[in-house]
Amino acid sequence: MSETLLKINNVTKVFGTHVVLKDIDLDIVKGEVVCIIGPSGSGKSTLLRCINFIAPPDQGEIIFEGKTWKRFHSRFNIFANRKYEGELPRLRSEIGMVFQHFNVFPHMTAVENVMLGLTKVRKEGRAKAREIAEQSLIQVGLGDKLNQYPEKLSGGQKQRVAIARALALNPKVMLFDEVTSSLDPELVSGILDEIRRLAKDGMTMVIVTHEMNFAFQVANRIVFMDEGRIVTMGTPDEIRNTTDPRARAFLSSILG
Amino acid sequence: MDGYIYNWNVVWDSLPELQQGLIITLQISIVGMALAIIFGLTFAMGRMSNYGYVKKFSTGVVNFARSIPLFVLLFWIYYGLSLKFAINLTAFQAGAIALGITGGAYMAEVFRGGIEAIDLGQREAALAIGLSSSKAFTLVVLPQAIRIIVPQGVNVYVGLLKGATIVSVIGVADMIYVAQYISLNSFTPFEMYSAVGIAFISLTLSVAGLAYLLERRLNRSSANV
Ligand SMILES: Nc1ncnc2c1ncn2[C@@H]1O[C@H](COP(=O)(O)OP(=O)(O)O)[C@@H](O)[C@H]1O
Ligand SMILES: [Mg+2]
Repeated sequence: MSETLLKINNVTKVFGTHVVLKDIDLDIVKGEVVCIIGPSGSGKSTLLRCINFIAPPDQGEIIFEGKTWKRFHSRFNIFANRKYEGELPRLRSEIGMVFQHFNVFPHMTAVENVMLGLTKVRKEGRAKAREIAEQSLIQVGLGDKLNQYPEKLSGGQKQRVAIARALALNPKVMLFDEVTSSLDPELVSGILDEIRRLAKDGMTMVIVTHEMNFAFQVANRIVFMDEGRIVTMGTPDEIRNTTDPRARAFLSSILG
Repeated sequence: MDGYIYNWNVVWDSLPELQQGLIITLQISIVGMALAIIFGLTFAMGRMSNYGYVKKFSTGVVNFARSIPLFVLLFWIYYGLSLKFAINLTAFQAGAIALGITGGAYMAEVFRGGIEAIDLGQREAALAIGLSSSKAFTLVVLPQAIRIIVPQGVNVYVGLLKGATIVSVIGVADMIYVAQYISLNSFTPFEMYSAVGIAFISLTLSVAGLAYLLERRLNRSSANV
């Protein structure tokens, strides 16, 4: 009955000789909120980056809205590579991503940050793009910072710009990679509230987080990763009561 | 310098010729710098390529170009091309190309340094919103890298300006050439070369001043994308 939006099929990722992801399978249903937890270095960020091919999977595939995406690279056929590279923006523009370190563009104002994708990817005219961008920034509570450069913004405000920048493109799924980890503690709950708001609106989301209370509250499903594999997954209740020793150890280390 | 009789009037009398020479020096250094920017950007991209052989080739070319003295390069391009391949360039063209190659080797490093100084997350965020690889570069990475590249590029240009004094050896009528020519007839090399020196110092200082203004501008506002 529920429709699979995103299918991660047998994904493996290797950096040099280090196998960072090993045979990852994960299906994400439309409207679902999946939280990924696990120790540092377990491959959570890499998995998110495989989904939108920022770090293309070495093996396996991503099936998004029924279309299959696989890595392609020819050692010599530059034209074939260019053709493949030219396809990826279509996938990426349907997938919003927010990063731990915000990665807002420092040479652009808040509204220009949000407009960039609208004008250059969605091909909106400048006036229309500005209107959408302003709306998007107002939604995340930055209506009074439209023309500020990032250096004048707090961490929380930068992260809101980054969220608005992703949302303005009307993505089908949002990926969040520890988006509160580099924020001052008093700014964390504001950003988590933004994500809760998106959950209420039915946004499909994959969220890597260390905020366990938030994960238990917002997730439909929690995935526990360790050493490049999915060790266990289940509903928040199932994870809270998991019998898997590694997951238990991780949870008690983080919940105290 | 016993017995040397200073004759500064020669300098004043030859100001029009010196000015002509100065214009040639400026022209050849500007054309050389334009070539250096094109070569530099091309080979910087090559050095950062995903293709191992492109990377190796570009690195090789840059290192090679950096290790040839400008003087030798100038002779190869002016006389060598003419003798071996019947490619006859004017002295000005040969000089500009030589400056372009030497400057390009340095600019390649300047570009690469500037680009690599930009956090990888910037490129990733640009890709994540669906920009193509080339747009991520031109709209997000390069405008930030420019702030690092411009001041260092100015240093390279000042180097080319000084290097431009060598082109007189193949007969480009630059300031040095003029000074040499006039002092041969008037026996006033000290005065003439001092005049050239002063012209160069003012030129270099003006370039540095312009660069300072440009840098301030880049830091104040920014590219409007
Ligand atoms: N670009 C990269 N090059 C080499 N190794 C990497 C790269 N990105 C991540 N890794 C390695 O992959 C492993 C998983 O990293 P990551 O996905 O960031 O883990 P997590 O987000 O769970 O902390 C780590 O050991 C990390 O050092
Ligand atoms: Mg991570």
